[in-house]
Amino acid sequence: MKKTLSILLIFLVFLIIYFLQVNFFTWFNIAGVKPNLFVILVLIVGLFAGRNLGISTGVVIGLLLDLFISKKVGITAIALGIIGFIGALLDKNFSKDSKITIILMVFLTTIIYEVLNYFINAVIFSYTLEIATFAIKLLIEVVFNILITIIFYPLIQKAGFALEERFKETRILTRYF
Amino acid sequence: MYKNKKSGAIGIVVTVIILILLVVLSNINIDKLSVVENIFSTIVMPFQNGFTMLKNKISGNDTFFTDLDNLKTENEELKQKNSELEQSLRELEIIKAENTTLKEQMNLKEKYGEYNTVSGYVINRDISNYTGMVVINVGSDDGVQPNMTVIADKGLVGNVVSVTSNTAKVQTIVDPASSVSCIINTSKDAFITKGSIDSGREIRATYIPTDAVLVQDTSVETSGLGGIYPKGIHVGTIKEVVNTQNPTDKYATIETAVDFSKLDTVLVILN
Repeated sequence: MKKTLSILLIFLVFLIIYFLQVNFFTWFNIAGVKPNLFVILVLIVGLFAGRNLGISTGVVIGLLLDLFISKKVGITAIALGIIGFIGALLDKNFSKDSKITIILMVFLTTIIYEVLNYFINAVIFSYTLEIATFAIKLLIEVVFNILITIIFYPLIQKAGFALEERFKETRILTRYF
Repeated sequence: MYKNKKSGAIGIVVTVIILILLVVLSNINIDKLSVVENIFSTIVMPFQNGFTMLKNKISGNDTFFTDLDNLKTENEELKQKNSELEQSLRELEIIKAENTTLKEQMNLKEKYGEYNTVSGYVINRDISNYTGMVVINVGSDDGVQPNMTVIADKGLVGNVVSVTSNTAKVQTIVDPASSVSCIINTSKDAFITKGSIDSGREIRATYIPTDAVLVQDTSVETSGLGGIYPKGIHVGTIKEVVNTQNPTDKYATIETAVDFSKLDTVLVILN
């Protein structure tokens, strides 16, 4: 029951983020660049709730985004699924108690997600690669994501540990072994 | 523990301030220095008022301040009137906005009267910084099909890539995957324009003939080649021409006629 409620809450957060991305951040942006809060959401789920929920959250959110706005269904789903997997992978190797670690994880996963997404799209739709422009935009996006992570860190940590308690029975053990 | 909590809260506040400053500074228009002007006048005004009052007193023009009670009553009445006027102004603004939208639709229909069209609104914008898709509120039920051309009051928007019964996904001409065959209005030189991730309103003209003469501010329109876009739809104006050592690599930047950040009403060409 608690697990179902948590999944519903994740879906609710997804909806809030979606409306922020398509409305609020169209004007609240840095030099025309929006943050990508979906990456943070999937990373946090993968990191705290484990591999299975991380990947499935990433894939489902990605599929929904593909259906809502993308040209091809599947690209965002794959990219976000990978972020969910990376989240679980990072959980095994790093501590989640430090703010700096979380920030570095957001930094890393935002870059991985956008690079993956951009290059898959570039191959499928034969883009002219604009590496310099892409790098500048990506840098701004990463900074934006990091600032948002810093602002919402207390909330992220609280929600994360609540998820961990519900989805991982062996929380303390995994941290030490 | 207390210190940690306190410094954490301060950190969050500082980050929020930094974020807001970044957003404001990065979106500020350098040409409009009214903000600086305002700050300057806020600082200077009290001194100026003080000096004026002093001058009036010395020169005997201070009778204005004697009838203070009358002034207060008058001020109250004016405040009341002002709030009433503000209220009617707000109502007028709403009517004006409605009128503008309806006019826009009418103009669009008249302007592109030769085409069989259906009008719609943008209901969803892209979440990514690297693509340019929009979703409109007309779909297969309204006769919209993939590859149909979408236009706005100022010019070309893009083409429909997929439809549901009530919505359609539109790939705008600024999307990096988009390419449009265009001609220059005056010289009829043809080239291909491609979308870019660079900016929301710029596309790049490539495959420009070596003997083509591109002049800044020249109007560019669709050539009708390629099978998607009809001929003669305004695309934008040439903003910058970049000559390279190899003449075949020459390219130009075109500013699109449509401002995609403010795109609202569109027309889908059905025939």
